[in-house]
Formats: sequence, structure tokens, C-alpha cells
Amino acid sequence: MKVQEEYLKDLRERAEKALTKKAPLGPDIDLSQFYLCSPREQVEDLREIEERLKEAALYAGVELEGEKAATYLQVDRSAVYEKVQKAFEGKLEIMSSREALARYPELIEYWWGLVPVDADKYTAFAELCPTEGYFIRVFPNVKIDVPLQACLLVSETARVQSVHNIVILEEGAEVNLITGCASVRGTESGVHIGVSEFYIGDNARLTFTMVHNWGESFHVRPRTVARLGKGAFFSSTYVLLKPLASIQAFPQVILEGEGAQATFQNIVFAKGDSYIDLGSMLLLKNRGCRGSSISRVCAMDKAQVFARGKLVAFHDDVQAHLECKGILFSNTAQITSIPELEVYGAPKARLSHEAAVGPFEEEAVNYLRARGLKREEALSLLTQGFLNLDLPGLPQALRRYIEEIIRVTSRDVL
Amino acid sequence: MLYIERLKVAVGDSLILDGVDLEIGEGEVHVLLGPNGAGKTTLLMAIMGIPGYRIVGGRIFFQGKDITDLDVEERARLGIGMAFQKMPTISGITLRSLGRIILEKRGITDSLEEIAERVNCSYLLDRDVGKGFSGGEMKRAELLQLLLQRPLFSMVDEPESGVDLDSIALVGRALRELFERDQVRTKKRSGLIITHTGYILEYLNADRGHVLMDGRIVCSGNPRDLFADIREKGYGECARCER
Repeated sequence: MKVQEEYLKDLRERAEKALTKKAPLGPDIDLSQFYLCSPREQVEDLREIEERLKEAALYAGVELEGEKAATYLQVDRSAVYEKVQKAFEGKLEIMSSREALARYPELIEYWWGLVPVDADKYTAFAELCPTEGYFIRVFPNVKIDVPLQACLLVSETARVQSVHNIVILEEGAEVNLITGCASVRGTESGVHIGVSEFYIGDNARLTFTMVHNWGESFHVRPRTVARLGKGAFFSSTYVLLKPLASIQAFPQVILEGEGAQATFQNIVFAKGDSYIDLGSMLLLKNRGCRGSSISRVCAMDKAQVFARGKLVAFHDDVQAHLECKGILFSNTAQITSIPELEVYGAPKARLSHEAAVGPFEEEAVNYLRARGLKREEALSLLTQGFLNLDLPGLPQALRRYIEEIIRVTSRDVL
Repeated sequence: MLYIERLKVAVGDSLILDGVDLEIGEGEVHVLLGPNGAGKTTLLMAIMGIPGYRIVGGRIFFQGKDITDLDVEERARLGIGMAFQKMPTISGITLRSLGRIILEKRGITDSLEEIAERVNCSYLLDRDVGKGFSGGEMKRAELLQLLLQRPLFSMVDEPESGVDLDSIALVGRALRELFERDQVRTKKRSGLIITHTGYILEYLNADRGHVLMDGRIVCSGNPRDLFADIREKGYGECARCER
């Protein structure tokens, strides 16, 4: 117990020192301009949840009334609903991370085990002024087809929500996690800080999908690191189709075990004055590690997008590919693609990248027009196709949902 | 059905068609022959209204209506369709989704799968349009789209190129279906087909043939006779012939 207290004290001290430390990327946010989110009461039954919250969750890809293996819903500062379906009891756990920390003292080993608490002012803030976050643990060799879901909503204005999420997949576990983050009315200003630490054990598989649906005055700073064991698999899909003030995230995956595999897919439709700085970093450390990072970006209005990707090889027998494709729909939007490949002592490692920014081929537009589609319809269809990545492991329902959002968004835009 | 008068078409700064006259009646299917670079594809693209094929002289009439200045999609809606020689790759959109959109445009619910089966495209339906398609697959996928679209006037650019001999029969059957050649009483659909080999004439009894050379139609007549002459004497003789 004493060790735990000392560790937490040390974390707090480091966090306090980093509280004014600016992040190297993205516009700096003065967090003193925002209040902390308010606490909310927990409910036992989904029927007690207000309709507007259910609707906000739905637009972030989370169906509260659907049949899911487990659900975590946080509104503002509090976990208001946590439920594991009867069929999955004893196979997995879902609860707020603070509750988990109180229940399992040994969890301290995972608490800031991957993300440095003093990485920047946002991680520091998440430790010093925490507002919950989810803890998910899937027990060894449990394979769950039905998705798990976690939803983080903000319903107040001028607030900071700073969550700390921990996901642990024990050896051989397989799970599909959908997370949706949204502001309820879409008009709220605020900041969402999301620290996420994923521990993916040997031969475990995590398919992770995150849909963001914030308002135009919202700043978002996710801080994510995942660590993969031997033969582990991690697929991360991020979908952002609505305008927001700014987001800056550069999630990192450490492929530590032999044969570990990771894939990132970012689907971004940047609108309004959005400032979007997104990327992913793959650290390939062991024999047979494979990775890919793919992003598709459409930018219009005055949106500014930085699409980053970084592959770092530490072993000869690794292979990874970066791909960034962007389409500009206005003269005032901007896409900057920044690929980085680094190799340390592994001259046989195979890293590659491919980037392209440009309009749709007129040949394809005219081809569709010859089938009777108006020019706007043809462009909308091409946009849908461009953003529709082949998303391996994504549940059919969610795939259909993302396709529908893309379809509606491209139709609205053109 | 289609009437073209002294049509001049430029691509970039080059004049490709220099005064083409052509008339295709209701229910008639014509074939267009000519050496490489004669302007055959340009003529089809100009009739379809594809941007980049600039009409600098002459007029095009379709069912009595002057369509020279209409956009490509307006021509498609009037009933003009085209099977392109090469299809573009459209990532993220399957042949099935495009097929459904084409059917929706017609406001009908023909069985997409059944038609796809007839042109051996069932296995292509869930692939992205054009992505990794072989030459033969492209031809069949193009014909599938025309069969779904059911234009009154269809243009087909080299249906037999890149297709193995076994598949030519299939392409031939699809063309017969497209032009409703087996339905004597409702013989209303018309078309223009570019062919280099003439194989397709074995399956489709075309009504008339035209030889296009140097941007003009230099000869018209029975397509089989024209082919026989060209096989024997080459296109050079067409330029000299005064038939």
C-alpha cells in the first residue's frame, strides 16, 4: 500500500511540474479558461437515460439500446451507466478507471505505465484533475464477437473532461471495442483530454474503433499508447466527420512481441475552421512485426489538416507501410502530409510510404455522368468511395453506420 | 434516331473529326471501322458529350432534338449510353453499388444479380469498380452496366478487344440482348459499335458499316462486304476507293 501511495505521490509531483508544459504539436490551449465537468448521478436502467444523451451517443457510433457485450457510458464527470451482459459476466469487466484502481491495487502497475504523466500539460491535467474514464479487462482466451462499447459525452459548456482509460486484454483474448466521444448539443465549447493505455497480451486481438462527434468550439487532445505482446493484433480505426475547433493526437503502438501486428486507419472529413493534426506511430521491435497506417482526408472550407505517420524499425525482420491520401474541396483548405521512416540497427527492415494530395480524376467523374449521375452526385459517390476504407474486423452494423455517415456527409457537402 | 451533321471535334489543339455525317435509324445497329487514330473513339465520346471532346462545328440530333450543347448526364437521361473501352478504377464503390444506382436512376428493380449472371459478372459485383479487372472483365462489366441502363441508343467501343474467343460468344449474346435483336416486334433500340476484328458480326447482324479515316466517314455499306474488302486490300484502298 505504501508503495502505491509513493508511486501516486511521485506521479502527482511530476504532473504538477508539467502543468504548463506545452505539447510539441497543435495549438496550445489555456486550460484555466475552462471549468471541470460536473458530477452526474448513476442510473441502473438504460430507460432512465435522457433521449438527447442516447441520440448524442448514437451519432458517435454507440447504440445504447443495442445488444452489446458490455457498455460504459460517461456523461461529464461521472460514469452514469456500466453494464456487462449476463452472458459475458465473468469473462470481462467494465467500470470507471478510478473504481478499478480502488478495487485492484495491483492495477497501479498499469496506471501511467505507457503514457508518461508528464508528457505535456494535458496528461498532467488528466492526473491532477481526473474525471473518470473507463477500465476494461478481458480475461485470458475469452473471445467475444459482440462489440463492447464505451461512450464519453459532454453536456455542459466551457468545461474540461479529462479521462484516463485503461484496456487490458489478457493472453488470447479477442474483443471489438467501439468508443464514441461527443458533445451533446454540438454547440458546447470545451476540452476533451483522453489518456488511453492499451495492454494487449500475447496472441490477443483488439479491434478498436473511435468515432468523434464534437462541436465547432471543442478542442480534443487524445494521448494514446498501446503495447502488443507476442502474436498480438491491434486494429485502430478513427472516424472524424464533423467540424471541431482543434484535435491533436499522435497515438503510439509498441509492437514488442514477436509477430505482433498493428493497423491504423484514419477517416477524416475536415470542415469549417477545424484544425486537425492526426497521425500514428508504430514502433516495430521484434521479429515478424507488421504494421500499416492509412489515412484518407477530405478537407474543405478553411480546414487545416496535418496527416502524420511515423514508422520506426528496430529489427531486420519487420515490415510496415504508411499511406496518406487527401482531397481538397476548397482553395482555402490545407492538407499537409508528413511521413517519417526511421530505422535503428536493422538494415533489412522494410518500411515504405505513399502520399498523394489532389482532386478526383475527371475521367472517373465523367464515367459516372455517362451513367446518368449529375456531376454533384458523381463527386459525392467518389467521396464516399474514397473515404470507405476496407475496415477489417469492423462489425457489420458499425460499418454500415460509418458508411451512412460518410454518404450523408458527402451529399451535404456537395 | 441519331443524326449527325458535318461534325467537327477537337481534342486539345488537334482537330480529330473533320466533318462527319452519319444517320442511324430506329432499331438499326451500325458498326464503325477504321485504322488506329482515325477518330472512332472520339466520335463516340463526342456523341456521349464527354468533356474534353470539343465540338467545334456541326450538330448532333437525337430523336429529333438538338443535343449538341447538352451535358453528358442529360444525354444519358435522354437514352444515350456507352460502354467505354477502358473503365476507370473507382475505389470504395463496388460494381454492385454502381449497378444499383443505375437501376435506381431508371426507377426500376430489375434483378441485378440475374443480369450479372448472364454476362458472367456475378463474381465481380463485390469488387471495386475497375479495380484489378482484366480486359475481358472490363468489357463484361461495361456491358452489364449498359444492360442495366437500357439506353435507346448504345455505343460500344471495341467489345471484343481483350476478350478470349470463348467469351466473344457471351459478349455477342449480351449485345443481342442490349439491342433486342431477338425481339422482332420491338426492334427499336439502336447502336454504334466500334470493331477492329469483325468477330462480333458473327453474333450480331449489323445493319450498316462505316469506315472512318482521317476524321471523316469515307465509305459506308454492308458491314460484311466492307470487312471483306478491308481484309483483302487494307484501309489504304478505302482511301482510294470511290464506292
